Amino acid sequence: MLKQSLIAIVCTVVFAGPSLARDLLVTAARPGNLYVFEAQNRKLIKDCDLGSSPVPGVIAMSPGGKVAYVLVNLWQDVVGIDIETCEKVFFAKQSEGDVTRRSIASLAVSKDGKELYTVRNPVRKHSDRLEVMPAEFAVYDTNAGLQAEPRLVHEAPRRSTVMATDRKGAVYVAGHDIYSIDPATGQTDIAIANASWNRPTYSPPDVLAFWPIGSQNDEFMLLYTAAIFADETKSELADFVWGYQSVDLTTGESVIEDFTSMEVLMFSAVRSPVDQSKLYGVYTQLSKHDVETKELIKRIDLPHTYYVINISSDGKEIYVGGTSDDIGVYDAESLERIGEMRIPSGGDMSVSTIQIVQAK
Amino acid sequence: MKPLNQKAERVQRAAATDKMDEVRAMQTITAGCSATFDPGWEVDPFGGVAALCQPMEADLYGCSDPCWWPAQVPDTMVSHPKWTSGADNAGKDWRSLGSVFPSDSET
Repeated sequence: MLKQSLIAIVCTVVFAGPSLARDLLVTAARPGNLYVFEAQNRKLIKDCDLGSSPVPGVIAMSPGGKVAYVLVNLWQDVVGIDIETCEKVFFAKQSEGDVTRRSIASLAVSKDGKELYTVRNPVRKHSDRLEVMPAEFAVYDTNAGLQAEPRLVHEAPRRSTVMATDRKGAVYVAGHDIYSIDPATGQTDIAIANASWNRPTYSPPDVLAFWPIGSQNDEFMLLYTAAIFADETKSELADFVWGYQSVDLTTGESVIEDFTSMEVLMFSAVRSPVDQSKLYGVYTQLSKHDVETKELIKRIDLPHTYYVINISSDGKEIYVGGTSDDIGVYDAESLERIGEMRIPSGGDMSVSTIQIVQAK
Repeated sequence: MKPLNQKAERVQRAAATDKMDEVRAMQTITAGCSATFDPGWEVDPFGGVAALCQPMEADLYGCSDPCWWPAQVPDTMVSHPKWTSGADNAGKDWRSLGSVFPSDSET
């Protein structure tokens, strides 16, 4: 019996081999659902009821990919959902009394998974007017349960949107500049100058920042467009360019650089986790750029506009989603459409995030 | 030029009192019921229509949910949160989307 058991164990170990990580794709859609797909085989594995309006559907994942934190109830509340069980494990109601607090896509989780951050924009509703109050950087403990209150609140830069955390504990916030915030003290510094950049022949940049993606390449990356003029008088337009700005979430090093002329729109972009020179941008076209050689490698038309993009952990598949009720899958090398996933409810994703996490 | 709303009046006052440094176009990061100078609903950034979202239904809730263009599309973030109730797919359900008007208490 013992021998048979040992043989069984050995056979199991030998034939099962090491458990391979698989990519899970997490997104939200109307009417109130959080969806989890096995990305490579396009299979839906979880359909979780968020219990609230999921839009605009900003999602931040816990470091191990087990909990999806979603801004719900019209950007007022944060809910944490265990994606294996659909259990609600965290909830923070940010508005109270006559004060409405919305987070404009500002949501991030620390790299140790212990803290969750939002930037909240409080507005007090008086009988005759609305009072705009100072923006707040709120620090929550992720184990605070279903009636979570912030443990710390600091003053935050106004007009903040998406955020990300690095391994040294800093929180990066996109606003008029890319800020670096110490969540313990609220100390705020400029990590990448945007509105305050020193580019005398450039216009200020235009940045669209709704999608907290980039974790696949361990970076906080945003695109910008800007006009370049022939000289500092800015009387003669020379070009209109796309550029990218990125903070490395391990080293904290940052880069900001133009990479192509503005020929098409791109709403979001990711870089390959296996080759950082390859940048994929999406809107009504899917474009593949080499940001080192500044070369457009390939561009294809898509069946319809998609807002958000992400990439598989092996860098081989591109996922485009948002807007409607389908997620398109494209080969990262050829940009050929190789599959799709449909939202089971048929509801639109609108501006929801697509996150990719690894599960065993 | 004649200001059409309170914010435009404040910009005009700032210009008259030499405080234009305090006026900043919402060019870097725009969202959340703020006036935006981004083109995109009627005309694209290139001055045409080819770069508008296609089809427009793909962009409808993307504009109403985050209150991107509250003048062009009903704002489901603050003022009309139930505008899309029962119409989860803009491409299929757009016929059930109605016009919106301020309520009596807002007029």
